[in-house]
Amino acid sequence: MQLSASEKIMVSIFYVILVIAGLLCLFPLIHIVSLSISDTHAVASGWVTVFPVGFSLEAYKQLFAGTPILRSFWNSVQITGVGVVLSMIFTILAAYPLTRTYFYGRKLYTFAIIFTLLFGGGLIPTFLTIKSFGLLNTYGALWLPGLISTFNLLVLRSFMENIPSELDDAARIDGCGDWLYLAKIVLPLSMPVLTTLALFYGVGYWNSFFNVLMYMNDTTKYNLSVLVQQMIQSQTMLAQMNSSDSADQILLTPEEINSAAIMVMVLPIMIVYPFLQKHFVKGVMIGAVKG
Amino acid sequence: MAFKHYNFSGGIWHSPWVGLDNFRVLFSTPATIQIIRNTLLLSLLSIFVGFPFPILLAIMLNEVRAMWFKRIVQTLIFLPHFFSWIIVAGIIVTVFSQQSGVVNELWQSLFGQSFAFLYHEGSWLAIFVSSGIWKEAGFSAIVYLAALGSIDASLYEAASLDGANKWKQIWHVTLPGISSTVVLMFILSMGRVMEVGFDQVFMLQNSTVSNISEVISTYIYKIGLMGSQFSLTAAIGLFESLVSLILVVITNRIARKFGSGLW
Repeated sequence: MQLSASEKIMVSIFYVILVIAGLLCLFPLIHIVSLSISDTHAVASGWVTVFPVGFSLEAYKQLFAGTPILRSFWNSVQITGVGVVLSMIFTILAAYPLTRTYFYGRKLYTFAIIFTLLFGGGLIPTFLTIKSFGLLNTYGALWLPGLISTFNLLVLRSFMENIPSELDDAARIDGCGDWLYLAKIVLPLSMPVLTTLALFYGVGYWNSFFNVLMYMNDTTKYNLSVLVQQMIQSQTMLAQMNSSDSADQILLTPEEINSAAIMVMVLPIMIVYPFLQKHFVKGVMIGAVKG
Repeated sequence: MAFKHYNFSGGIWHSPWVGLDNFRVLFSTPATIQIIRNTLLLSLLSIFVGFPFPILLAIMLNEVRAMWFKRIVQTLIFLPHFFSWIIVAGIIVTVFSQQSGVVNELWQSLFGQSFAFLYHEGSWLAIFVSSGIWKEAGFSAIVYLAALGSIDASLYEAASLDGANKWKQIWHVTLPGISSTVVLMFILSMGRVMEVGFDQVFMLQNSTVSNISEVISTYIYKIGLMGSQFSLTAAIGLFESLVSLILVVITNRIARKFGSGLW
């Protein structure tokens, strides 16, 4: 297609804006990386903008030595790992029956599930429910209420609905039951959407903050989010750190430590992200078009 | 719960009924009215200012022909969605910090003095809204990209044969093609008017700007959970849910008039 001069200008303006948008998303991250590995002196005098000035891993050293970040990291890993597995199992088991036409009361169940999207009981009753189940201060309080995300369930359901019913017929004639059909036919076919959902659940659990803050009283059970939040919001932890440390250690700016802590939280996401990116675009689009 | 006077000894079943008392307190205290106002202000600002960005991004991405370029930009603009507010707020606090934040360094070299961005109501609002856009605009664009992809390519051919230039094509083919998606997204966002994300507000707020930054969810957390005023805050919560439901139903009614409702 031939483009006229004015159209060419327009399209190139689009390109420029998109480049700016992309860079806007990237720069804050690079800035944080640079802060965390730059020289203390440079950070304190504000020389660090985009690229690191000097090089020192002092921030990370003090972070790992002076804060319980390793423990919270492990807590986060536990919460995420177990949570994703549980959520995936139950989401699959909930979505599959909702796609079966012979499942009696399908419409009613679907409505009941969608209704939770529109109307919720509120925070306090939820909290009291969790409390009366005796789940306070256990990770069960994080896994159980969020076991199935309604949105994810609907995405999976609409994907499964698109699997041709001829497959079902054929499998049944060959003597295949529901469980086998689910395991051998439906799940392999749903792979792209399943990876997307696992990613969403994983990121959700990894980033979970409010639930941890609300349900965990024991500070040793805090995950990374809560720890990092407390580091950012109060500098008391830093003050403690600096006073307990021996005098030969360099005093770091809060920016450096915070940046290092943010990096610890971001890194796992950054590592997983490229592998899953191509899947989730597809998965989200399925959900978006059908949802 | 919301219609009772909850106490610990009685539990949920044995606490006395108080009818609408909690709601009466709720609507007669200036503090709670201000909180409801803040909630509306913050979320309406976020929705209306933030709404066009994903659409614009999607339309621009759609015009891009170089696939490698498209992929790189997409990768970058989707990324912030996967960071929690803890990370985003951490970045913001660091970048806007008054002592050595990079923005203040710049500001200082331009105007000669530092400015506490997070401690003035106006600039706090701006940071609040734009951080929301920064985090979510790219990801929300996916939905529109999907809608754009389903537009029939022959419409563009026909339009260009009839002499429509790029600009006209966008106006007359692209926009009508995604209008139903736009309406749908709008309805969904109206349903969320009453719930400004807790994490975002909680992480960014400080006592200096609490006049505009205290919202329903943070109030429930502070007064209800920390202060054990369960019944009053449960009443606010119920009010919040009810208003959202009504809003969704109303917007859907309106949208159905234009032929594209949610149900």
